[in-house]
Amino acid sequence: MKKRKGLYSWLAALLLVTVFASGCSGGGQQDGGAASPPKEEDGGKQVEILLGYYSSDSSDTKMKELIDRFEEQHPNIKVKTQSAPYGQFYQKLDTQIAAGQAPDVWLSDGVYVMKYAQRGAAKDLTDWIVRDLKAEEYYGLDFNKDAEGRYWGVPQGIQVGVLFYNKDLFDKAGVDYPSEDWTWEDLKATAAKLTVDAAGKTAEDAGFDPASVNQFGLTFFSITEGWFSVMKSYGGGVLDEKAENSIVNTPENKQAFEWMVDGMQRGIITDPVDLKSFQSNTAVFPSGSAAMRIGIYARVQAANEAGLNYDVTLLPKGPDGKRVSPVIANSWVINQKSSDEKAEAAWEWIKYWATEDEVQKQWTELGEAVPVKKSVAQSDVFLKAGEQPANRKAFLDSLEFAQTLDNNAVWEEWVGKFNENAERAFLGDATIDQALSDADAAVQAVLDDFYKK
Amino acid sequence: MKYKLLGRSIAYLLIGISSLVMLVPFATALMNSLKTYREYTTVPPRWIPEVFQWSNYAAVFKLGNIGGYTMNSVIVAGLSVAGALLSCSMVGYAFARLRFPLKSALFVMVLGTMMIPAVVIIIPHFMIFNELNMLDTLTPLWVIEWLAQPFGIFLMRQAFMNIPKEYEEAAKMEGCNPFQIYWRIFIPMARPTLATLAIFTFMGKWNEILTPVIYLTSNEKYTLPIGILSLSGQWTGNEQLMIAAALVSLVPILLVFLFAEKYFVQNHNMAGIK
Repeated sequence: MKKRKGLYSWLAALLLVTVFASGCSGGGQQDGGAASPPKEEDGGKQVEILLGYYSSDSSDTKMKELIDRFEEQHPNIKVKTQSAPYGQFYQKLDTQIAAGQAPDVWLSDGVYVMKYAQRGAAKDLTDWIVRDLKAEEYYGLDFNKDAEGRYWGVPQGIQVGVLFYNKDLFDKAGVDYPSEDWTWEDLKATAAKLTVDAAGKTAEDAGFDPASVNQFGLTFFSITEGWFSVMKSYGGGVLDEKAENSIVNTPENKQAFEWMVDGMQRGIITDPVDLKSFQSNTAVFPSGSAAMRIGIYARVQAANEAGLNYDVTLLPKGPDGKRVSPVIANSWVINQKSSDEKAEAAWEWIKYWATEDEVQKQWTELGEAVPVKKSVAQSDVFLKAGEQPANRKAFLDSLEFAQTLDNNAVWEEWVGKFNENAERAFLGDATIDQALSDADAAVQAVLDDFYKK
Repeated sequence: MKYKLLGRSIAYLLIGISSLVMLVPFATALMNSLKTYREYTTVPPRWIPEVFQWSNYAAVFKLGNIGGYTMNSVIVAGLSVAGALLSCSMVGYAFARLRFPLKSALFVMVLGTMMIPAVVIIIPHFMIFNELNMLDTLTPLWVIEWLAQPFGIFLMRQAFMNIPKEYEEAAKMEGCNPFQIYWRIFIPMARPTLATLAIFTFMGKWNEILTPVIYLTSNEKYTLPIGILSLSGQWTGNEQLMIAAALVSLVPILLVFLFAEKYFVQNHNMAGIK
């Protein structure tokens, strides 16, 4: 009898756990990952769209406010959201795309728009953009245009590269601040005066030790805030206009690499090993350990948080006067597989984001990106008189000569291969000729693997 | 006597040094969590912050819905542990003690599934849970543990195989059925292994990132690791806050470990066999 009682109590516990478990999760079972189909209601046709975006905690709050506002203005559209931290967002998105469950509209890192476009996951937005958006009112609509002239996304916010400089370090060395007329050679000559070793000698002094640098003239890493603008302004680059062939092995790129490798060997520019002694690649300038950096707009936040006395100016010119700034336009993309109804509702969201001054202003206040709408970008909401950096206009001026990062379907893969080989040259493990030749072959292999299959 | 004292001193010294090696990363993390961003990035690093920024901890609680994330993690980890203990011990018992056709072949198949990386099965799992309308709920995160995972099966099978069969025979003579033998004899005797499985499962679920990211959509359903990661953005690190949040998230693991620790040192009681 006692035994049976034990069995019953065991079964009762199991039942309780099951009930508890289903209670914990039952509430959400109705609203799964994909948006539910539209339904007829009294006030007109209701459409529900799933909106995917990556965010930090602070930007998530702002995004939700803007979504509430959108729903008030569009009572027939219900927005269900899906957010994740940046690093994990794409893992989730790629899984959802593979399973046919992707959001109807999502925020894509600018460098990934072509990946989704060329794999058939993103919708061609050309007709809608031509119909509803006046190109002259926006920055960066062309950043999502492919070689055939089709548009695959609408920028949500823009990151463009400028030259950041630490005014205190310039003042301490008694050196003039960077000018807009600088070439990369001018930058290096000044950076040498601002590079200081452990003994307090600058890179111009006899007996300077490039192996024990305490303060670098320029910090520099990877593509966006590293080699891309140097190579482009020297007349080189990595991919051709269609972004399907490598053009790495050229005399112009060799010249650009000679400038970079010389700077690293002399200790003026941070090389990949120098960067490892910092908390992160981006921490060198905020920590006050570098006089200058190539930086996108988002770096303003860290520089301000670190309390630096700094400003920004245009990136230097190449030997022939060519100037190029790297640009990334994080963009809204619509799911190719969404129904017409949902795609149109998603387009309403994009239009709301791009055209409404109030939305653009509120997002600009977060300080993460240059606004897309010119009227807001050119107002004090963005230019913020009296706040650092004083010369915020440099970001807008740089958009005149900005170029996207040779974005294509295999961007991440080819950048990885290029970096591997470039690092060998930067660290002196390979000659520039060898590194460029190897990078050319490796990048082309990645491209062929996608475009020639 | 003298040698004994010397030996003991050396042992303590070695233990002291090794515990220091273990503690330094934690102490560094604690110090980093109490710095301003500027101090955090300073080179050369400053170990002890000038002013302890206890406000970083307050900021963590203010910034994110840490309480909600913690509750979600507790639900997922708690139900997972319950599921793993129950299902793995049942299946492990069957493989260890029951006789049925193709037992060895099935066991090899179970072990074989351990070789499949999680990312390979994530898309089929996603599609299954979508069909079951379970996306954006906590269910997919713990329900799998109720279906007996291979590592737990293996662990429990080995533990049950080590229990002398005399116990089983004695129980049978007393009239116990197989379930009663499992529940009344084997489970109590396998407590150390169950504690090990509980800790592994709890830690695995507590720290898991990939599956919550894939299955969860709404911020209010996030588990703690995702909540901590969402303190940083695409461009901004907030590293000192993330470290503070990570340290806070360690507390439940420590509690579980302290609770389960006593079972670790126990061993099977062989005294009943003569």
